[in-house]
Amino acid sequence: MYGLGLLKGLGVSMKRFWMPKITEKYPEVQPKLPERSKGSFQYNKDSCTSCELCSMACPNGVIKVEWHKDESGKKRLDRYRMNLGHCLFCGLCVEACPTTPKSIDFKRDFALGCWRKEDIYRVWTKEWPAAESAPDPAAPASPSAPAQGGN
Amino acid sequence: MVGFLTTIFNWVQGFLGLPATSLADALPWWDILWAFVYFVGAIILLIINVIMLIWIERRAAGFFQERVGPNRVGPFGLLQTINDTIKLLGKEWIMPAAADKLVYLIAPLLIVTVSVTMYGLLPYGPGITPVTLNVGILFFLAISSVNTLSVLMAGWGSNNKYSLLGGMRTVAQIISYEIPMALSIIGIVMITGSLDLGTIASAQSHVWNVFVQPVAFVIFVISALAELTKSPFDMTEAEQEFVAGYHTEYSGIRFTLFFMGEYANLFSMSALGVVLFFGGANGPFLPPWVWFIGKTYVFILFMLWIRWTFLRIRVDKMMKFNWKILIPISLANLLLTGVGIKIWQAATGAIRW
Repeated sequence: MYGLGLLKGLGVSMKRFWMPKITEKYPEVQPKLPERSKGSFQYNKDSCTSCELCSMACPNGVIKVEWHKDESGKKRLDRYRMNLGHCLFCGLCVEACPTTPKSIDFKRDFALGCWRKEDIYRVWTKEWPAAESAPDPAAPASPSAPAQGGN
Repeated sequence: MVGFLTTIFNWVQGFLGLPATSLADALPWWDILWAFVYFVGAIILLIINVIMLIWIERRAAGFFQERVGPNRVGPFGLLQTINDTIKLLGKEWIMPAAADKLVYLIAPLLIVTVSVTMYGLLPYGPGITPVTLNVGILFFLAISSVNTLSVLMAGWGSNNKYSLLGGMRTVAQIISYEIPMALSIIGIVMITGSLDLGTIASAQSHVWNVFVQPVAFVIFVISALAELTKSPFDMTEAEQEFVAGYHTEYSGIRFTLFFMGEYANLFSMSALGVVLFFGGANGPFLPPWVWFIGKTYVFILFMLWIRWTFLRIRVDKMMKFNWKILIPISLANLLLTGVGIKIWQAATGAIRW
């Protein structure tokens, strides 16, 4: 019978009318991200062994690990620095990290916009007792605390 | 309307010293005052309606497409239309150098004038019809045909191939679809026995015409969509074929006027549908004008539902559909209505065999 397709079409669009909307009102309502979405990075400085595998895995040389050896010849971390301006968010560093839990891992914070060029850097420093601390290497201007995303 | 015009003519005659009634008798201040009040009322209704309709259209379009629609300016985006209007008013007027200037400038004014005229004819309720005409529906159809003229003027005056093609298509489409529309209305006129919109509305106090004339209702909706050049019949401004059809070359306030006219016509055509098929302002509990506006908006939502569901059909298929399907069906409907009326009259004893 003619016209049944039309009625079916009308039914489909009316169903769509009442369904929840796909649009996300982003600035007011944060989006529901998937479990494994790749946003910014989180760094666990307590589990890091300063092995520099992440730095070697990185295709763009984003990661710079600075460390010193203490009296017993053990690697001691000073500063972990990422230049997110060159980062591809490919995740090779996360794959390369041998520690459990991962020392470098993705987090869901995706709002990485910033106003100042210095805020592109993510820098984590580890403080050792005064006797063990290494001399501060000449580093480019970096913020005192890691900026946790946002603008 | 006629009385008002007569008084104006009398007044002009008296003013010129022509042999007529004396000047003091011919000054119809009261009539002029009331005509002015009705005019202002129609204009205010038109503007409020257009603002609401554009918001409803965009919001409903969003909902049908699983979007949210305008929601930034004001509560629920209600002030979005005002915002856009102010933006449009601030834009530059650009007129093509080769335009037919007079025709180009008159066209947007004409479309709004026609819309206001149609608002003046609608029976919003008993006693609040601005102009009561005993040939109301005929006048309504005649006036709504003038829209064709303004669209054609815009298409011709722009001196642009897209505008001209859009205007030509509009003329072909609207004139063709007026025939089934008028034929579907004639059935109701035969049942009611009147051309007056108020009488037709009040005659449906027991049963709505949509139950008496369902085929005519379907034909009316299809041809009203075609008259309003709404999808699936929006060939006149098919973006993929012509840029925007007849208003390609318009900008600023003239484009606003076209836009206003389009949505004002949407309201008046839906209101005509309500008067003809849904009992006009009849309804329990609420005041009549609330019923009228409410029914009209439900009808508009129905039209929007159709608009945002169906695709644009091809031009030749549209014309074929009209001439080969709609007009024969409406003629058959008319015949059946006439036979039915006679049988009804014989059954109730109004006439003898």
